[in-house]
Amino acid sequence: MMEKAKILIVDDDPDITEAMKIVLENHDYVVNSVEGIEQAMESLKAERPNLIILDVMMKTPQDGFILSRQLKDDDNYKDIPILMLTAVQEKTGLDFAPAAGDETWLPVDEFMDKPVKPDMLLKKVETLLKKA
Amino acid sequence: MESLLKSTRRIQSACWLVKLRWAAIAVLGLGAFFAKRAMGVSLPERKLYFITGVLFFYNFILFDYIRQLKWGGKEPSTKTISRMIMFQISADLFILTAILHFSGGIENPFCFFFVFHMIIASILCLKRSSYIQAALAISLFSLIVLLECFGILNHYELTGFAAHGLYKDFTFISGTLFVFSCTLILVVYMTTSIVEQLREQEEGVEQANEMLEEKDKIKNEYVLRVTHDIKGHLAAIESCINLVYTEVVGPLNEKQKDLVGRAYRRTLKCMSFITALLKITRLNLSGKLEKEIVHINRVISSAITTVQNRANQKNISLNYEGTETVYDILGEQVLIEETLTNLLFNAIRYTPSGGRIVLTVKDKTTEYLIQISDTGIGIPKGDEEKIFEEFYRSENAKKAERDGTGLGLSFAKQAIEKHSGKIWAQSNPDGGSTFSFTLPKPKDSIPKK
Repeated sequence: MMEKAKILIVDDDPDITEAMKIVLENHDYVVNSVEGIEQAMESLKAERPNLIILDVMMKTPQDGFILSRQLKDDDNYKDIPILMLTAVQEKTGLDFAPAAGDETWLPVDEFMDKPVKPDMLLKKVETLLKKA
Repeated sequence: MESLLKSTRRIQSACWLVKLRWAAIAVLGLGAFFAKRAMGVSLPERKLYFITGVLFFYNFILFDYIRQLKWGGKEPSTKTISRMIMFQISADLFILTAILHFSGGIENPFCFFFVFHMIIASILCLKRSSYIQAALAISLFSLIVLLECFGILNHYELTGFAAHGLYKDFTFISGTLFVFSCTLILVVYMTTSIVEQLREQEEGVEQANEMLEEKDKIKNEYVLRVTHDIKGHLAAIESCINLVYTEVVGPLNEKQKDLVGRAYRRTLKCMSFITALLKITRLNLSGKLEKEIVHINRVISSAITTVQNRANQKNISLNYEGTETVYDILGEQVLIEETLTNLLFNAIRYTPSGGRIVLTVKDKTTEYLIQISDTGIGIPKGDEEKIFEEFYRSENAKKAERDGTGLGLSFAKQAIEKHSGKIWAQSNPDGGSTFSFTLPKPKDSIPKK
């Protein structure tokens, strides 16, 4: 049997994290979650995940962006796919989706708008893991 | 914004002066022609025609200059326009003086036409400039009167129209010049006073308007922040209830499933309301559009794909009647697509099962007309405009669909108006309704005549 894929969730909303965790764990993923970018870096050093689910707005509205840039600039982590969760589309009026994967602008692999529907989440996670 | 408004208005004033002058040219030319023939007034016709010609030439140059200013893209400064208006009025004073000189000088009662120039100057120029114009008019007119009186300039008699021989009568000259000067100065004084009051009032209104806009912006930002926070909580609630309701975390008994289902559906409705409110508030707050080329055809097919499922579920046929022509406009794709999706979802929502929805695009000369017709419940009479107001829902719409945000059409209206288009709705004579909106074509794609 294939080794279970490890997913790291970085989100400061414990309820949303919990809900996603349940969905993903039900589908045999190993899920770890942290609440901020510092803990995320620590967790990454301790154990390398196969995928990162990242919330845009945590302590500051750009935390998610900062972390994703940091990771994609780092040779050790740049291969880990990032799925970004956002409610920013509404907040700023910017439509990020077309820019996903545009490394020069915003280095993430996929976007999802909150609230995340379980089947959509699973589908995106699966596609990203296959690509990696 | 304010200075732009004022400078546009001033350019309009400059245009108005040019238009007035065209009329004056016509009257002068025809007057010179008929005064002699119909009324037997003696006039140095050729000289007057020459002045008419000069006036025509000078007005044409101004006309062309203003046209270039208007279409040149660069906004001319208020100073430039003010100077141009001052120049025009002064030039007109010289020309009127010349006309008067060739048509009887002080004996010609038309000398009081200077009053018109004074009124125009008082309205369009600053107070000081208006008095300068008055001084110029008085000096110019007195100069020719005196030069004629002392025989330095030739005097042209206006036989058949005015008394003559008076130009050498010193009492008459001094009396007339005195009244003339008083009239001009009083006219300038009165007009500038009234204009000043009006300007003050206008500024007050403008300030109040700005304040209201600022308050509205603050309100919108507040709404945006609040709705955004609520959305965060709702998203968490939805994610959690979803797992319970879909029994991912364990089976529910019938009663539990029913109750959780109710809570879940209400959460979804609340979510869609909050999302709509966020979208419209965001649109309210956004300034200028970030324009790009939008292929309307592509946007339409994308919107149709989005709503097709819902139409199929209700067994409603959804047809697009367009040609192969590519319709391109300049605008924001997201807004136009959202508008179309909103209108299509509305049509599906308020059309009974088995109905029909037709979407058409028509190529008008300067714009595209997009129409969505349905066989639905129609719009109650008198509600055609109200339905575009925020939170307004027609009685029949409420009956047909209990839930609705009342924000979809209001969003559509704002989005289309941001594109300088128009949107309206009407009931079809045979039932159902038609929603229409226009999107202006990019300027360079309009065929030139």
